Amino acid sequence: MRRALGIDLGTTHSLVAFVDDRNRARVLDLDGSGPLVPSAVRYAASRIDVGAGARDAAASAPGEVVLSVKRLMGDGARRLHVGAAGPAGREVTPIEVSAEILRALRARAEAAFGAGELGGCVVTVPAYFDDAQRAATRDAARLAGLELLRLVAEPTAAALAFGLDARREGTFAVYDLGGGTFDLSILRLEAGVFHVLATAGDTRLGGDDLDAALADRLGLPGDPATLLAARAIREALTDRDAWEGVLPGGARARVSRAELEEAIAPVVARTLGPARRALADAGLEPSALDGVVLVGGATRTPLVRREVRALFGRAPLTDVDPDTAVALGAAIQADALERGGRDDLLLLDVVPLTLGVETMGGVVEPIVPRNSTIPARATQEFTTHADGQTGIVVHVVQGERELAADCRSVARFTLRGIPPMPAGAARVEIAYDVDADGILHVTARERTTGVGQEVHVRPTSGLTEEEVERMLVESVLRAEDDVEARALAEGRLEAAQVLAALEAGLREDAGALEPGEREAIVQRMAGVRAAAEGTDPYALRAWLSSLDEAAKGFAERRASVHLARAFQGKTVEEI
Amino acid sequence: MTDPFAALGLPRAQALDLADLDRRLRERAREVHPDRFSRAPAPERARAAAASAALHAAHRALKDPLARAEALLALAGRSVQGARPAPEFLEAQLAAREAIARGDGADARESARVALAGCERKLAELLAPGAGVAALDGAVAALVEARFHASLLRAAGDPPATPRPGQDR
Repeated sequence: MRRALGIDLGTTHSLVAFVDDRNRARVLDLDGSGPLVPSAVRYAASRIDVGAGARDAAASAPGEVVLSVKRLMGDGARRLHVGAAGPAGREVTPIEVSAEILRALRARAEAAFGAGELGGCVVTVPAYFDDAQRAATRDAARLAGLELLRLVAEPTAAALAFGLDARREGTFAVYDLGGGTFDLSILRLEAGVFHVLATAGDTRLGGDDLDAALADRLGLPGDPATLLAARAIREALTDRDAWEGVLPGGARARVSRAELEEAIAPVVARTLGPARRALADAGLEPSALDGVVLVGGATRTPLVRREVRALFGRAPLTDVDPDTAVALGAAIQADALERGGRDDLLLLDVVPLTLGVETMGGVVEPIVPRNSTIPARATQEFTTHADGQTGIVVHVVQGERELAADCRSVARFTLRGIPPMPAGAARVEIAYDVDADGILHVTARERTTGVGQEVHVRPTSGLTEEEVERMLVESVLRAEDDVEARALAEGRLEAAQVLAALEAGLREDAGALEPGEREAIVQRMAGVRAAAEGTDPYALRAWLSSLDEAAKGFAERRASVHLARAFQGKTVEEI
Repeated sequence: MTDPFAALGLPRAQALDLADLDRRLRERAREVHPDRFSRAPAPERARAAAASAALHAAHRALKDPLARAEALLALAGRSVQGARPAPEFLEAQLAAREAIARGDGADARESARVALAGCERKLAELLAPGAGVAALDGAVAALVEARFHASLLRAAGDPPATPRPGQDR
């Protein structure tokens, strides 16, 4: 049978693991010195190097070496200039650099197993990677010529390595502090199902940041070579109380563990917020957990262990190798998928960040809430707001903030091919599918015709801002399944009508106002206006009711004034 | 609408053991998850993905007590749409929101938490099997008010009121 691979594509190191003939997961010794390959790529004049040699050249040839490229994944516009300075060098994307690492790992696995023996692979990603970061990783795997069976979240993979063979059951937290990313996942392990209840994290927080904090404390610059030296000092201080040696730049220095901990404490503290949120989202107190698992090389740092112990009120479990657990779990899952599934094993993972759509006023309408089990699907119905409008722009974002501008933009899609109809007549159903890799797919169809005609979905490009503005969906209408969205849309409509009527009334019939009444009405009008721009139908309803109460007397007096005028007019005509 | 209770093999009732709900999700996921069809032909894989997403949506609808109540009411042919609480209730909501916006909303939050718990208890009674059609109006009212309380707590930045697994409600 072909050999499936589990690949831990890390910020500082990468590993490959496989399941051997005796059904045990094992890491592959990739270059004779152990399983960890530095995630470093050197673009030399005549060839591309990956691994320890490339990393070690970071000091002598900094312009040729790319380190920690994982931190740039998902940044579509990012170009790195590598090789010689000027036109002799070239521009590469983070996806291409990651693909070089994967290609090197694949070549070494082929050397170990034989070229024709490789099956599919599982590549791991931080649980908190968003849609763009996951899609970039998938593309890197394809570019490297790998058959990607699945992207798996790193803490989930680690839980698999931790729980499967030992047949562990219960609720566990996985605290995963890698080279550049932090994840905290809460999982329920039961009868071979690894069920993620909640996840939280920070994709820009890891061992690299600990090293940068130490370098800063020592008054050193933050270049790659210095950071490597800082890491060596930090790692040396795991088992010792003091380090003495030569710093980059030539000065001799002594660093105590207390000094290190003072420098890195603020960075370690940043892991606690996501950890608490994951617990809250899972609805659990720390005492309800059966154990805490540490993953990632940076969790060897004593301060990290102490903070974890303080937060969870228990010592972390130590029977997991923090360096290899992710790759081993990925190998088990890759092997299962290669075989078409296993009866005694299933991973149920979640989407880490809420997916939403930008609506009126730049406000986000949530579509798939965070911690929804994947695959997940949600549908929404939109309509047009101009006569003959044949396109709609949908802006999908990911994040927990209320305004789209504060969230990560996933994609702007243009739906084209809507038959020309009066405003509001077209009914376009948009389906958002998050697949088992955590990647979003959008499809749309126009339903008025009853035929379910497909509408083209493509990323918007080449459109002017004006066009986008004109086509942007202003509000979600007719969302039959979504009571709140509908209540909000109705409330906004009512608010617009009431505000227009009262503005006219205050202008034309100020004489009908009683003392102090204008202030009370104007204040509540401001409240209605603000609530109509928000997303909360309940707040809007409360404000509308309050305004109604405040303006009731005025409205009645206005009506009688108009009635009186009408009668007068009639009298005049009759004369 | 589709019946989330049927999807998870549960009786139609508001009271629910959440640990049991999660267990049922895991059992059913074993049968339909795309990972079980990783080497199957494409149409079969697509069917698995759709069935799996539908199962997860049903689980989502039952996990949250208010979504669960809404599903039960919808199955009984009742809609919450257009149902509005009394003006006095809305005035009180507004006052509570203003207090929170001013930064002294501790009391308002606490009373919202108590009121939400009260609504959820009422829903469990009114939406119990055999509670009868006459109870549905009260359930609609309780759900509408519960939504206001939950929305207020969200706006105040309270952690989501996710019930604890294993807790019987």
